[in-house]
Amino acid sequence: MPADNPGRSRSSPLSAYRTTLLRIAPIVTILIAWELAALSGLWPRQVLVPLEQVGATLLALASSGELERHVSASLYRLTCGFLTGSTIGVATGVAMALSRNVHRLLWPSFTCVRQVPVIAFIPLLILFFDVEDSFKIVIVAIASFFPSALATHDAVRDIPASHREVARLYRLPLASFLRRVILPATVPQVLTGLRLGLTRGWLSLVAAELLAADSGLGQMMEMGRQLFQIDVVLCGVIVTGLIGFLLDGSVVRLERRLSRWRTA
Amino acid sequence: MTPRLKPAALALLFPALVLGWWEWESRQSAGHAYAFAPLEQIGRSFVDMLSDGTLLFQAGASLQRALTALLIGGSIGIAIGVATGLSRLLDRTATPLITTLRQVPILGWLPLVALWFGNGDGAKLLLVSLSAFYPTVLNTQKGMQAIETRYAEVGRLYGFTRWQALRLIAWPSALPLIFTGISQALAFSWIATIGVELLFSATAGLGTEMMAAQVAARTDVVLVCVACVGVMGFALNQLFGLLRARLLRWQPPIRN
Amino acid sequence: MSDPRILRDPALRPTSTGTGAVRISGLSKHYAIGGKAMTVLDGIDLAIRPGEFVSIVGPSGCGKSTLLRLIVGLDTDYDGEIRLDDARVAGTGLERGLVFQDHRLFPWMTVAKNVEVALLNQKLPRERRDRLIAEHLALVGLADFGDAYPYQLSGGMAQRAAIARALVNEPKVLALDEPLGALDALTRVKVQAELQRIWMEAGTTMIMVTHDVDEALFLGDRVVVMSSRPGRIARIVDVDLPHPRDRASPLLHRLKDEILAELTREPREDDGTLVSFPPRIRN
Repeated sequence: MPADNPGRSRSSPLSAYRTTLLRIAPIVTILIAWELAALSGLWPRQVLVPLEQVGATLLALASSGELERHVSASLYRLTCGFLTGSTIGVATGVAMALSRNVHRLLWPSFTCVRQVPVIAFIPLLILFFDVEDSFKIVIVAIASFFPSALATHDAVRDIPASHREVARLYRLPLASFLRRVILPATVPQVLTGLRLGLTRGWLSLVAAELLAADSGLGQMMEMGRQLFQIDVVLCGVIVTGLIGFLLDGSVVRLERRLSRWRTA
Repeated sequence: MTPRLKPAALALLFPALVLGWWEWESRQSAGHAYAFAPLEQIGRSFVDMLSDGTLLFQAGASLQRALTALLIGGSIGIAIGVATGLSRLLDRTATPLITTLRQVPILGWLPLVALWFGNGDGAKLLLVSLSAFYPTVLNTQKGMQAIETRYAEVGRLYGFTRWQALRLIAWPSALPLIFTGISQALAFSWIATIGVELLFSATAGLGTEMMAAQVAARTDVVLVCVACVGVMGFALNQLFGLLRARLLRWQPPIRN
Repeated sequence: MSDPRILRDPALRPTSTGTGAVRISGLSKHYAIGGKAMTVLDGIDLAIRPGEFVSIVGPSGCGKSTLLRLIVGLDTDYDGEIRLDDARVAGTGLERGLVFQDHRLFPWMTVAKNVEVALLNQKLPRERRDRLIAEHLALVGLADFGDAYPYQLSGGMAQRAAIARALVNEPKVLALDEPLGALDALTRVKVQAELQRIWMEAGTTMIMVTHDVDEALFLGDRVVVMSSRPGRIARIVDVDLPHPRDRASPLLHRLKDEILAELTREPREDDGTLVSFPPRIRN
C-alpha cells in the first residue's frame, strides 16, 4: 500500500473519499481503455483479451482446482526454501558478527558470492539437481540466505557498545541479555533483511518455474504463453502480483508491530 | 586458546576447502565428473573462452543491454519521480498505479511481453528498463518530497523563483536518494538482463551462453559465466560508487 | 582580521545611510492550535533606531522567534503593523536578513556559493559579486574557507558563514534568531566578540533573540525583556555603555541581576517551560 504522507493529507471524510477516487482513477481508466480496445476489434481477441474473459478464466481456473494446485506448489517451494535459507542466513549472520575468526573465515567468500545475481545460479542448479522440486527450493533458499545473513550481521554488529556495558554494569545473565538487549535491538533490521529475502525468493522462484517446472504459477504462465492463452497468462500475472503483495504486506505489518518501541 | 591466525590465511581457507571438496567429488566417478567439472577443465574453458573472444563478446552484449535499459528506464524514472514528487495530484494518481504494477515480479511479465512483443531485443529491453524504472522513480519521488522547510525558508528569504528553488534546493537535496535509486537500478537491470537472457532465447549475452552450456551439460562453461556475471556486477557497483562519491563530494564521508 | 576598536556610541554613531529604522506598533499574532486560538504575541510596540543593536530575551514560548519571523516576512499573518523606514513590511525582502539558530547553509554548496545565494537575485556584475563575497568572508574571518563544504566547518565557523550570507546583500536590518545557541560556551564567547566587531563595521541594524542574558547585555544597546503567554514586552533595559564592551563591567552585572529578577519575578504554574538561565559567572 502506498503510504500517504500523513503530514500533508487532511482527514475530512470528503477529502478522504476524493483521495481514494484519485488513487483508483488511473487504474480504472486503464481497465476501461483496455476493454474498449478489446471490444473495438482492432486487435485479434487472442492478443487483447476482453476483461470478462480474463475474469471467466480466473473463475474457471479457481473452480477446477487447477489454480489451487499451482499456487500451493509455488507456496510450498517458497516456504521450504525461505525457511531453510533464512534460518541458515540468520545463524551465519550472528556467527559472523560475534566471532572474529568466523568473520575472517567466511566474510570474503560471502561478499564474493553475494555479487552474483541469484538467477544466474539457475543453470548450474539445474545441472546439479535436475528440474525437480529440490532445485526450486534451493534457489529460493539461496535467494533468501544472502539478505537475511547480511542484515543479521549488520544488526548484531551495530549494537552500541553502551548496551553491552549497561548489561555488564547490571550483571545481566546471558539469557536475559540476549532476550532483553540483543533481540529487541536487532529485530527490526533482521526483519527488513527477511523481507528482502522473501521478495527475492519469490522473484527467483517465478523465474525458475518459468524456465523449468511441471507445476507452479510460473509454469502456468509459461504454458499459457506456449498455447497462446493470454487470459491464462494474465491470470498468472494477477495472482503472482497479489501473492507478492500479500507476502510483503504481512512482513511489513509484523515489522511495524515489533518495532513499535522505536518510535514510542 | 586459539592460535592467532592470520586473517588472509583464514579468508583463503574456506574457498580452498570448497575447491578441494569439489575436486575430490569430480574424481569419484564419471557420473560425478558430469556435474562437478574438474577444476583444471574449468580453468581451461576460461582460457579458451577468453582467447577466442566468446567471453568478451557475450559479456559485452549483456553489458550493453543492461546499460541501455538503465539509461531508458532510469531517465524515465527520474523524470516521473520529479513530476510526482512536485505535484500532489500526480503523486496521488500515478503512485498507486506504479506500486500496483510493481507487485508483479519483473520476470513474471515475461510470458505476457513475449506474447505481445515477440522475443526480440525490444521485448528484452522493455523488461530490463522496467526493472531500472521502479527504484529510480520511487527514490527520486521520496527525495523530492523530503525537501526540508529549513532550506525552503532560506530560498524564500532570498527571493528565489520557483525555478531557482527547484534547481538550487529541491534537486540537490534529492540527489543522494536519486543516486541510491540509480545504484539500485543498476543492480536490478544487471539481474534482469541475465534473467531475460536465460529465459528468452536471445541472440547473445552471458545468460544465453549459460543456457546453451546447461543444455550441453557443460558445468565448466556455466561456472565461468557465473563468475563473470558476479565480477561484472561487482565492478559496475564499485564504479558507480566512485562516481557517486565524486558527484556528492559535499556529503561528509561515510564512516567505515 | 583587524579589530578597528572604534568607540561607537549608538547615539553618536553616524548612521551611514540614515536608514534601517524599524517601527513595530500594536502587533499581535494568533495561532490556531487544535481549533483553539492561542495568542502568541500581544500588543507589541517597539521602535528601533537605525544601526541599533537590540537584544530580546524571554522565557521559551514568549514568541520572540515568531517576532523575528514576522519582521523578516517569513510569516505575514498578523495584526498590527511593522514598518521599515516607513514602508509596511509585506513578505520577505532583501533589505531584511535573518540568521537562523541552525546555520542552514546548503550542504551541497561550498561556503562561497552559499554566500552567493543571497546575491542571486541582485543584478550585479560578476566581478563586483565576487568582491562582495570575498569581502564578507573576510569580515567573518573565513577568507580561506570559500571552497570548503559546510560539513568541513566547525559549528562556530558555520554560524559565521551564515552571518556572512545574511550580510552580503547589505540588508538594512538583520534579525538573528539565537544565532549562537548551538555553540559551546567557549566558542560562544569568541563569536560574540566577533559579532560585535562585525556589527560595528557593517553598521547594520541588528535584532537578536537569545536565551543568554549575558550575551544580550554584552551586545545590545537595549535589551527587550519579554514575558510569555501571551508574549508581551515586560521591560526595556538601556545598556548605556560604549562598544566594544568589557564583560567585567559592573554595570553589566547589575543589569543582569535586574533582568534575571524580572524574568523570575512571577512564578507561573508551568514553571518547567521557564528557561533556567545558567547561573554561570563569566570573567
